Amino acid sequence: MKRLLASFVLIATVAAACGGGAGTPSAAPAAAASATARPATAAPTATPKPVRIGLVTDVGGLNDKSFNTLANQGRLDAEKDLGVQTSVVESKKQEDYVPNLTTFAQQGYDLVISVGFLMTNATWKVAKQFPNIKFGIIDGAPANDKGDTENLPNVANLFFAEQEAGYLVGVIAATMAKDKVGAATHNTVCSMGGIPIPPVDKFIAGYQDAVKTVSPTTVILNGYSNDFVDQQKGKEVGLNHIGKGCDILFQVAGGSGLGYITAAKEKGVYAIGVDADQADVAPATVITSALKRVNKAVYDTIKAVKDGKFVAGSQTFNATNDGVGYGKLATVVPANAKAAADQALADIKSGKIKPKTEIQVK
Amino acid sequence: MTSGTSAGRTAPPTRRDALAWAAGPAIPAASVLIALVLGAAFVLVSGNDPVAAYAALARGAFGTPYDVTETLIIAIPLTLGGLSVALAFRTGLFNIGAQSQLLVGAIATGFVGVRFADLPGPLLMPLVILTGILAGGAWGALAGWLKATRGVNEVITTIMQNYTIVFVMHWLLQNGPMSAPNAFGTPASARIGDGAVLPVIVPAELIPLTRLHAGILLAALAVVAFWFILFRTTLGYELRAVGLGPRAAAQAGIDPKRGMVLGMFVAGGFAGLAGMVQVSGVFQRVYDGFSAGYGFDAIAVALLGKNSPIGIALAALLFGAFARGGTIMQSNAHISSNLVAVIEALVLFVIAAETALRELARRHGALKRAA
Repeated sequence: MKRLLASFVLIATVAAACGGGAGTPSAAPAAAASATARPATAAPTATPKPVRIGLVTDVGGLNDKSFNTLANQGRLDAEKDLGVQTSVVESKKQEDYVPNLTTFAQQGYDLVISVGFLMTNATWKVAKQFPNIKFGIIDGAPANDKGDTENLPNVANLFFAEQEAGYLVGVIAATMAKDKVGAATHNTVCSMGGIPIPPVDKFIAGYQDAVKTVSPTTVILNGYSNDFVDQQKGKEVGLNHIGKGCDILFQVAGGSGLGYITAAKEKGVYAIGVDADQADVAPATVITSALKRVNKAVYDTIKAVKDGKFVAGSQTFNATNDGVGYGKLATVVPANAKAAADQALADIKSGKIKPKTEIQVK
Repeated sequence: MTSGTSAGRTAPPTRRDALAWAAGPAIPAASVLIALVLGAAFVLVSGNDPVAAYAALARGAFGTPYDVTETLIIAIPLTLGGLSVALAFRTGLFNIGAQSQLLVGAIATGFVGVRFADLPGPLLMPLVILTGILAGGAWGALAGWLKATRGVNEVITTIMQNYTIVFVMHWLLQNGPMSAPNAFGTPASARIGDGAVLPVIVPAELIPLTRLHAGILLAALAVVAFWFILFRTTLGYELRAVGLGPRAAAQAGIDPKRGMVLGMFVAGGFAGLAGMVQVSGVFQRVYDGFSAGYGFDAIAVALLGKNSPIGIALAALLFGAFARGGTIMQSNAHISSNLVAVIEALVLFVIAAETALRELARRHGALKRAA
């Protein structure tokens, strides 16, 4: 036992010796970076080189049927339409973000797109090291090691007005709950987020705002699966919500949310999809989807780089520029619900309605 | 069982182990080779060129000095996790909980690293290393203690501990006591003090942008410590004796219950160190749900490494190369990085098949002798 402790202490001592110079490890690589970053875009006189685009997914992976799938769709569309060369790499762990972004940058890609707010710090780290390479980040802005937003001249921050998409599906849900359409008999609507973070909560905030406006008597519940991948956790929250009388369930939880939809399908109530049009997930169950056109943001940013019109800094994709909207309606959705949603869409575009961005029912 | 064979089993045979190490690499190497060939068939069936796939895989893992350092960065937690699983194996325990022990070590490191952020490095660094090891060890020892005192199967408890920690992390980091007010809008702790950061050990002039941190030295030390504890200390002797046969060990005056608790403590310590290294060397803060899966890959690493320290380091390097090379294979050769998961599974499958075949042969031989 003494020897065991002794060997642990030995490890600790050696590490303390290496720990001495821990203060300034980041300064040197930054200096060396400008030498390694190949100026891919700064050579217009050479033979026209194809524009190369790299996309890095977050841990959700390419088949999340939402966020990452959509971003990849935007990449594939751009490849087809614009004649650019593209590559995608999936991050398996949070540890992978920095090396995956770095690898594309080291190979002199023209644009590297990070899919998701989870990569704000990784994007900041890598984009700072490669000032000649353009970066785009979905749902976030570069954040330095302290966690503060620090805009960089080579990074486009691609935000969405999620509350507007949430509002539109909220209008449909509230109208159906109020009129007790089909299986929606309890005048209760619910939502489930993955983790309480801004891009998730803005969807739910808009949804709740619409329900309170259109049908003040409707009961609202909200919950979180605390996960973006595990379907089982989403299903548990869903069954719990249905047990409390919910018959319209809005999911904002990526892969985990598919379990929320499954719960609705099994119990014969309605669900609302998110990000992508999720009508195919469970045709009669999913009455519509809150669309967040990540594919459009990816496509537009690629196009901007190709046309030499890349703009750094924040830009918002909203109802006005067709960045958000609502998806295919199931046959059970009555005409008056669709009319109300279309009216709300017009009012959001004209600025008459400004959906809330803060959640009211936690 | 005759007394002669029983004595042969209770005395942990150091020399025979050394010989076994020498003969050992053949089987894991063959398993990897067979798995690669089977994996090539998968690539072929999916309509891609296996040669191009493996070329991209190898280039991604070892193509440039930067790639090599990235491979090593992944190999570090895999090595430490592999040592954790192997040490438990040697004590006759199946530690499925390396993942949760890793996370406990990470949480403890984050807590101490933030709480005492102002301490100078020479004080803070040993402190976070010790807390990481002790926290992981205590969490592991809990499973050992439950087995020793209540007879609860450690497979069950360690699996349940994995779940428990995931939810504890949600609670701590999602607007909980450890969450930073300003952490990129993601659930994460505050940044640990500079003194708790494992420095990058390769000069930027040599390999620009590399992130290879001093954790690799800790992993190397741990490999040595594993061998030293197991084969050069009384404790190690006791652990191996318990692993070979708890009842025989008890006959020899070794308390198997104590062995179970201590074995799981040391095993948890290695995994806790893995968590410490990820926080101190890679992230400088604790993220909710980070390092997912290292503790599970570690089981494969320990199996492939045949529970020997050098074997584990090599197996971790191989799995690190798979992970790193897989992403590059996907981006450059457009072959899904999930192929790597297929190959890893095949490696295990082949090893398991080999073990099963050997067991069958042994029983067959025993039957013959009986007849």
